[in-house]
Amino acid sequence: MTWRDYQRLQLVSRLDDRFVSYVEAGNGPPLILIHGIPVWGYLWHGIYPELTRTHRVLIPDLPGFGFSDKADCFDRSIAAQAQMVDAWLGHLGISHATIVGHDIGGGVALRLATRFPERVERLIVMNTVCYDSWPIELMLQFGHPEAHRKLSASFAVRLLRQALKPGFASSIHRDLLEGFLAPYTTEVGKLSLIRNAAALNTNLTTEITHLLPGLRIPTLVLWGEDDRFQPVHYGERLAKDIPGSRLIRVKDARHFVMWDQPTLVTKHVLDFLDKNPSISAHTSLG
Amino acid sequence: MKKSPILEEEAERELSDIFHEIRQVFRISGVNLNFRKWATYHKFFPVLWDAIRPIAETRLFEDSSDHIRALAAQLADRLPRLKITPSVFLGESQNFQIQAALQIYHYINPKLLVITSVVEYACHHPTLSPFQPHQPDHELIPRGVPRGMYPMEMIDDPPEDLTLRKTFRDIERTLGLTDINSDYRTLALWPEYLVAAWHRLKPIVKHPQYLEAIMVLREAAQHQASDLLPRLALSDHQIDLLGRSRNDFLETTSHFTHLLPPLMLNILLMSLDWRSSQELAVSPFPAEFQSPVIGPSS
Repeated sequence: MTWRDYQRLQLVSRLDDRFVSYVEAGNGPPLILIHGIPVWGYLWHGIYPELTRTHRVLIPDLPGFGFSDKADCFDRSIAAQAQMVDAWLGHLGISHATIVGHDIGGGVALRLATRFPERVERLIVMNTVCYDSWPIELMLQFGHPEAHRKLSASFAVRLLRQALKPGFASSIHRDLLEGFLAPYTTEVGKLSLIRNAAALNTNLTTEITHLLPGLRIPTLVLWGEDDRFQPVHYGERLAKDIPGSRLIRVKDARHFVMWDQPTLVTKHVLDFLDKNPSISAHTSLG
Repeated sequence: MKKSPILEEEAERELSDIFHEIRQVFRISGVNLNFRKWATYHKFFPVLWDAIRPIAETRLFEDSSDHIRALAAQLADRLPRLKITPSVFLGESQNFQIQAALQIYHYINPKLLVITSVVEYACHHPTLSPFQPHQPDHELIPRGVPRGMYPMEMIDDPPEDLTLRKTFRDIERTLGLTDINSDYRTLALWPEYLVAAWHRLKPIVKHPQYLEAIMVLREAAQHQASDLLPRLALSDHQIDLLGRSRNDFLETTSHFTHLLPPLMLNILLMSLDWRSSQELAVSPFPAEFQSPVIGPSS
């Protein structure tokens, strides 16, 4: 699926004066897939169709990312993104859902689970940011106040394309990388991504560390074990801190584990969902 | 030699500050081609902006622009409908975003037409009695980009996509543009939409009723500029800062007063796919009322 095809599938929710673009498919208990930085919902297009067989899959572009709102003047931190996902689920009438997060999307998922526990009935994090594992150097550089002046949009995208390559275990198709970065090829897109990078704040995961042992939801920690951006020892620590959680180390996979091992990742996710059934097929807030 | 407009991201120091002020005073999420083109007249542009600003921040100016917008909606309503959307497969979010993008230009283009007409008039009639902005009847409108306004996002020109490149050149040729406007560069974010829209617009831009509507809008803007809005505080001495570029500047400005009416109509014709002419007659981002400020400009 090209990114243009994926973009055509996107629906829209308006939350106050912001808007969220998202893809929705399938029936069953809601399953929310949250991307990280610097990508967007298109990240999940390789594995989500299989998940729609048993679940109502919803894939938002976090505000500031992809084809969601890229205007100025709103908080793009993972704390604010978690609040936004909470508000968005409420807007859609979804009282609770399974949350799947990757990279900073995992940080959003962890914040949701600890701050809005009633919303999260199952949790899956993949190569997530956590503790003091982030921001990585690349994103720190990108979020520098001078980046907007120093980098043209086309140069920034070229730079990111190169920088993302080590996130994959094997060579990645150029079209896929272009698709991941497509929303950021304009000056507005670039500026929005810079603002997103500037909002990365390790305090927002360290401050919830003490809450992790209090989580009482089925949790799967899935990790491409050769990840250079988010080393697997963070996954080990996470699995130790969250009671009853399980770490699955995925071999021959790096940061973008769902692209390095799509079949295996899908299988692990479906197995986990199968073994930890949703408490209700579909609950509405009414 | 053709001067390339200055890109927002390339503006430095004083120019960057002026561009920021343009966004605040004109209540817009980006800097349009008019200003980016005028900014190429380096010495004159800061003087021009100092003259424009006291007018642009008044209710009087906003009302004049609202009047032109309403007139344009009325005129566009008499033209054939484009019916673009049934022919292009757009997702819900894309539909929403195209409408949001059209709203930016539907809001700003009448303001640009009025201010450009004022500048054109002022250059031909240097003033001895400059505009006094802080009269009690000159209420100031709130500054800043209105909440919910879509960012003025646009693709590069020339575009990488061959079809878009051809469409841009065809638009330029047909409408007699020297540079492709922000409007089309924004709509090019949805290439199929822009290509289909232009395919339907192209025959209409030669329609006698369309050409007549352009004339009506241009005259109405000139009327606003010369009668309703007091003149810009531009003196002969200031205009002399243009030096040998004086005629070039006048030509550029005159060019904008000619291309903005069709641009307004085109945006309206596209918007009519989603909204009625009555809805479009009203400003999409009305300026809230606030107490008049009397005293020196801050």
